[in-house]
Amino acid sequence: MTRFTRARLVAVGSGALLFSSLLAGCGADAPATGAGAGTGTKVQGGTIIYGHEQEPPCLYGGWLQQAYIDRNILDSLVTEADDGSIKPWLATDWKVSDDGLTYTFTLKPGVKFTDGTALDAQAVADNFAYWEKGGNSTAQVSIDPYFASAKALDTTHLQVTLNKPYLPLLTMLTQGYFGIQSPTALKRSDKENCEQPIGSGAFKVKEWKHGQELILVKNPDYTSWPATAKHQGPAIVDEVDWKFLLDPVARYASLTTGESNVIYDVPTVNWKDAQAKFEVQQYITPGKPVSIYMNTIKGVFTDKLVRQAFAYGADRKSAVEAGFHGVIPYENNPSVSQSTPGYNPEVAKAYPYDTAKANQLLDQAGWTTRDSAGYRTKDGKQLEVRFAFPAGSVMTGEGSTVLQILQQQWKQVGFNVELIPETQAETFSGKYSSPDSYDAQPWYWTSPSAAILWIVWRPSTKDSPNYNNSSFYDNDELGTVIQQGNSAATTEEANKFYGQAQQIIQDNAAAVGLYTQTSSIAVAKNLHDVWLEKSQGEPVFSDAYFTK
Amino acid sequence: MTTAAEAADPAVPIPALSRAPSARSGVRAVRWGLVKLALAILVLVAAASVTFFAQLLVPGDRATTILNQQTGRAQLWSAADLAPVNHQFGFDRPLAVQYVDYVSGLFRGDLGTSYTQHKPVTEVIGAQIVPSLVLTVAALVTAWVLSLVVILVTVKRRRFVTAIGSTWEALTASLPPYWIGVVLLVVFAVELRVFPVIGGTGVAGTVLPVLTLALPLAGFLGQVTRDEFEKVLDQPFITTARTRGMSDTGVRLKHALRHSVLPAVTLSGWALGSLLSGAVIAENVFGRPGIGQVLVVAVNTRDVPTVSGIVLVVAGVYVIANLLVDLAYVLIDSRLRAS
Repeated sequence: MTRFTRARLVAVGSGALLFSSLLAGCGADAPATGAGAGTGTKVQGGTIIYGHEQEPPCLYGGWLQQAYIDRNILDSLVTEADDGSIKPWLATDWKVSDDGLTYTFTLKPGVKFTDGTALDAQAVADNFAYWEKGGNSTAQVSIDPYFASAKALDTTHLQVTLNKPYLPLLTMLTQGYFGIQSPTALKRSDKENCEQPIGSGAFKVKEWKHGQELILVKNPDYTSWPATAKHQGPAIVDEVDWKFLLDPVARYASLTTGESNVIYDVPTVNWKDAQAKFEVQQYITPGKPVSIYMNTIKGVFTDKLVRQAFAYGADRKSAVEAGFHGVIPYENNPSVSQSTPGYNPEVAKAYPYDTAKANQLLDQAGWTTRDSAGYRTKDGKQLEVRFAFPAGSVMTGEGSTVLQILQQQWKQVGFNVELIPETQAETFSGKYSSPDSYDAQPWYWTSPSAAILWIVWRPSTKDSPNYNNSSFYDNDELGTVIQQGNSAATTEEANKFYGQAQQIIQDNAAAVGLYTQTSSIAVAKNLHDVWLEKSQGEPVFSDAYFTK
Repeated sequence: MTTAAEAADPAVPIPALSRAPSARSGVRAVRWGLVKLALAILVLVAAASVTFFAQLLVPGDRATTILNQQTGRAQLWSAADLAPVNHQFGFDRPLAVQYVDYVSGLFRGDLGTSYTQHKPVTEVIGAQIVPSLVLTVAALVTAWVLSLVVILVTVKRRRFVTAIGSTWEALTASLPPYWIGVVLLVVFAVELRVFPVIGGTGVAGTVLPVLTLALPLAGFLGQVTRDEFEKVLDQPFITTARTRGMSDTGVRLKHALRHSVLPAVTLSGWALGSLLSGAVIAENVFGRPGIGQVLVVAVNTRDVPTVSGIVLVVAGVYVIANLLVDLAYVLIDSRLRAS
């Protein structure tokens, strides 16, 4: 079964490339649906057919695919504006104590969940308790270990107490994982909460046809839209049919034939065509970009010089441009992507493609001889890199192409890079998670804040091991600097520390940058105001409307 | 005397004899049925058991997979993180207990609860099985029709026509289904707009997925039937039939076909099960629900009860299909009815 799955993924990748031109050609003959209708009159109602990609096992959870859905059915305390500032949502106002330890939120009064339960301060406190209990492990890790308690002061006032000041708290709360659910509903069985989370959002779940689509219907009594909404009031459309169309060729085809109105993740080969015919939005995800973790405690990359040589040894920028048809940006900062607040652009200037430098570093590290195949050796051992990558999930077919290009270049400077595609089952089972199982592995982690640095690079301790650090890179100074950032009094000060932390990671080549995790949507021209929210690019349909 | 004469007389159809059941043959039939049933149950339990253990033997533990799947990560977890998951799903019980629990559940019709969807596996499968069966059976029937038409029209014709037939079979049998699916999608759904891109479960949406699966199978069935068909057309009884003045079409349909489809009938039993579990490509390309994609997701997420449940269903389909194949043999080859 595993072999079959892998074969399928490869087939999907190559097939997508093969047929892209064909598809583009076909689309050109056909009249683009809705094109040129942008100035028509606004229609009330209608059904948006949204061609999404992956289907999660449950609608609520700590996976990005779940946050995409939850953003449309659950409301959060606060939201993030395009400039990165925090705006009111369920909380109309909040005060932070001078010591930065106490947050007092004032909630919008009279809001009700779609099951009739009141959305009051106690309900929100219950949700904090639920996250901390493991109800959403991504929510949990986003506020650990700073979060202490949440309690209702009265029906509209909530007090959140921290152990240590945590400046990014509000930004973290803007992610879909922190959507507030009805505490009454949370008492139902796991199955019911999996199939039909109950929130106070603009849409509610009508039916989930597994393997096919999720039907969301408008919540007619919606009162709690965020300050960033593009209109006041309940959703304008009646329904969103959230279809799961895994195949990229079919997904794009559904938009060109007008069978869908919006699609997620436009194939990069169709990017130019989509720009001409549809309204295209690209979202560069903040957080950790797709960068290569280097195993710093076992194997060849324990030597910093070898890690640095690896970073110098291949033209990563050109490989990314070639692999993704110039659509997805290269990212040379391995710890924080360019769209993250607090990004240090200086860090991204390190390690340009320089084979002379790479060769010099490897000589210096003692890898001076070469074997018959041209790979460097030291004491009879080959300079071998076991490069595991989650094929199909983190690395798409295009990402794999990038790695193959790089593999050839690394060979020139003497690295024998063995690319090991992991099946999804192997990835999830932790087969390639221990220090013994790989030398390098690419991965990303979306987050609206540079506080992602703490999640990934927090020093591991006996009591609290940090398994998120796939480079196994322990550096106390780094840990201290990130904590200073997290607990800084002002954003400027925080960013100074975060920038310093990025520099430490880059100087030590604890990871090597590749490209930004990027998502996109293409929207038919007769549909307006579909937007991607700021924290993670979750698609928002509550403001969308059709024109005739 | 008379009895012997009757038996020897070819005019008396042999099947007529077997249709008059004696008490002894009735008992034999019941015993035969019970043995078949017991074997079927054995096969099913064995299939579920092998799947159950095979999945546990894969490196990495289930609790880790569940946590990584819930968070979209790939990492190790501390014992403190894993403990509640192990407890919740009962992984902390001895393996033998888990197995006995699972197998005894099978006899009560309980296939367990999905690790990822938190609902009974019977519900997970139940919601997806109908579109899968529709797709599978329709693909098999279509494949048969296609292969027979090509055989009847092209075997032992002019060299050119025959070559077209055998080339067509070799080509379709070797085409990857994904490729066929995407070509059909681009040509018929995007270019000609005859069928929808997002298929769903409607009739129009089922045509292209069915063809995606049926075309390679038709080529395959055609290849096996063609060899047989050629051989049969050289047999003396065919010449006899022709000398009796029977038309070419009549000879092909009435005599040659019946003798040459047996290998393809045998393969159909296998094809039915294989189509059911391998339908994932057609399902993905055309956005169609079905147990193919549920199986792939379940394998990826190590959802042991769901994988075992689907294997059980597929094994059940194999058992039924092979039973049908046995019956089809009897219908096609009247000599078998006597035994």
